[in-house]
Amino acid sequence: MIAPRDLRAAAWWPAALTLLLTTLALGGSLLVPLAFSDPNGVDPYVVRLSATSLVMLAAAYASRRLLGGRPVLLAIAAVTASFTLFSAAPQILFDLFKTAGTAQILWASLAQGAVTVGIAVAAVRLLPAELRPALRLARFGWPALIVSVAGVALLVLAGLALPAGLLGRDGIQPVAIARDMPWLGPACLLQAFAQEAQFRGMLMGGLERVMGRGWANLAQAGFFGLTHLAVNYQGPVGPFVPVTIAVGFALGWIAQRTRSLWPAVIIHAAGDIGITLAVLPGLYGF
Amino acid sequence: MPQRTSLAQRTLIAGGVMCLAAMLTPAVGASAAEPWWTPLGLRGVAIDAVSAAGKTVLVRTGSGTTMLSDDGGMTYAPVSGNPPIRPPAILQSGADAWAIDASGRVLHAKGSGALTLDPASPQLGASAHLIAAPAAFPGIVVAVAVDGVVWRRGQDGDWQRALLLLPAGFPHGVPRITGAAAFTQPLSGSVYLGTDGYSVLSSTDGGDDWIRAGPGLPDSVLALTTDSTTHAVYAGTSDGLWVHHLRALPAPPAYHDAALVWRWVGIGLVSLLSALAGAALLLLALPRLRPA
Repeated sequence: MIAPRDLRAAAWWPAALTLLLTTLALGGSLLVPLAFSDPNGVDPYVVRLSATSLVMLAAAYASRRLLGGRPVLLAIAAVTASFTLFSAAPQILFDLFKTAGTAQILWASLAQGAVTVGIAVAAVRLLPAELRPALRLARFGWPALIVSVAGVALLVLAGLALPAGLLGRDGIQPVAIARDMPWLGPACLLQAFAQEAQFRGMLMGGLERVMGRGWANLAQAGFFGLTHLAVNYQGPVGPFVPVTIAVGFALGWIAQRTRSLWPAVIIHAAGDIGITLAVLPGLYGF
Repeated sequence: MPQRTSLAQRTLIAGGVMCLAAMLTPAVGASAAEPWWTPLGLRGVAIDAVSAAGKTVLVRTGSGTTMLSDDGGMTYAPVSGNPPIRPPAILQSGADAWAIDASGRVLHAKGSGALTLDPASPQLGASAHLIAAPAAFPGIVVAVAVDGVVWRRGQDGDWQRALLLLPAGFPHGVPRITGAAAFTQPLSGSVYLGTDGYSVLSSTDGGDDWIRAGPGLPDSVLALTTDSTTHAVYAGTSDGLWVHHLRALPAPPAYHDAALVWRWVGIGLVSLLSALAGAALLLLALPRLRPA
């Protein structure tokens, strides 16, 4: 049994507690309004997620006591703020230029990537050296290449072997693909880069500074899975969360083993492109 | 001098206010909309073919019995002579007529003209017979080749591959396409595909984009037809006959004035309180740092 005093003195305690409490705060701000609002009508839910995480980040910078939680809060701010901008960008672009279409997804993804890079640079510059996350962006060797190819192949095989009904992976639409893929392909790549930099880069890389690699990976994977409650807020979310936790853990493990973020980016992008290619949307959008 | 409340007390009060606000704010009632697909009859019976016109519904069961309903599908009686149900050789949709010839090419006639080969039509295969043309989009045609490829004809006469079904997952193969249907009066531009595995797929833009449009319906759809007089799509499935009545796609509810404002106020309050509560609890639980 660990005494509370020892627990509070542990190096991992500030980061772990920050992750837990921020997750609860984000969960509260996402789910409590369901009691009096609805997911489809008025809900700017990504804005409130950003607001929640930014308020907590501001508190962490206002009090030196929360220093140990800053890497986690920066990573979470990158997740929420960039996703908010990604979600809002098509509407903003429509209001500004009166144009709609899949091109806007690419510009929105570019904005998501830019915000992520900006916060990652801030994390590297602002955090003390002992808390600075290991982003693993500088390395891409043969092992990383082999793992990337094998991972993509495994993903395709698993995607085809799993029941189509579970995934909504019913068919591919050549006309729509030829029309949209020049925009959506690069958009998927940018989104994958942004999300890997957020979860496996900033979050896992930050947690690894204060806890074991396995725990850091498990923690980021859990948070990665739970964030899909927000991604799928307007649709069925239950079955998706365990799958995304497992995927997040596998991608984290790959990043740790290859000491490179790029295989995770490539596999993630392949998965997103596969979803764009093969998953037919349902009547209600999912 | 007034006594100051501790951080823990303030956190508790904030949490209490948050829960109270959630409980006191009127909840949005779940709307009980009519299901997208409704079972019509013959549950537990496989329906291999269906044809409908007004109150008259004709079905062919998997065991080879043709049955007739003259009350819109509620009750059925066997048809004497047990004739098979065959789709019409020529599909009349609006002012156009379409057909697939014996070699698997698409024929087209405008008005009362004779059927002629549609110039760019693909080779669908000798036994191809599934074709749909929404009267709302003259010139648009969706046809299914014997290899399962779904082709669509644009209004410019150009044919392109529009949909390739993927395997249903190990160890199952690619589901068979069992029906193609569209309204032959200009009621809707939707085209429907029945599949033995993926239920019903639908396209509202002439076959470019497809959605899964069978919520509630069995996965195994064996026959599909439309009836313009009742604005209905009928699906013969492995579990009886089902019907979908034409209606707008579900849209998000719209709130106005105070309802919208109060929802936003509530959402903002919950977000702020969640963040402040999280930060306060962190401050309580983390030890003070020693000065460097």
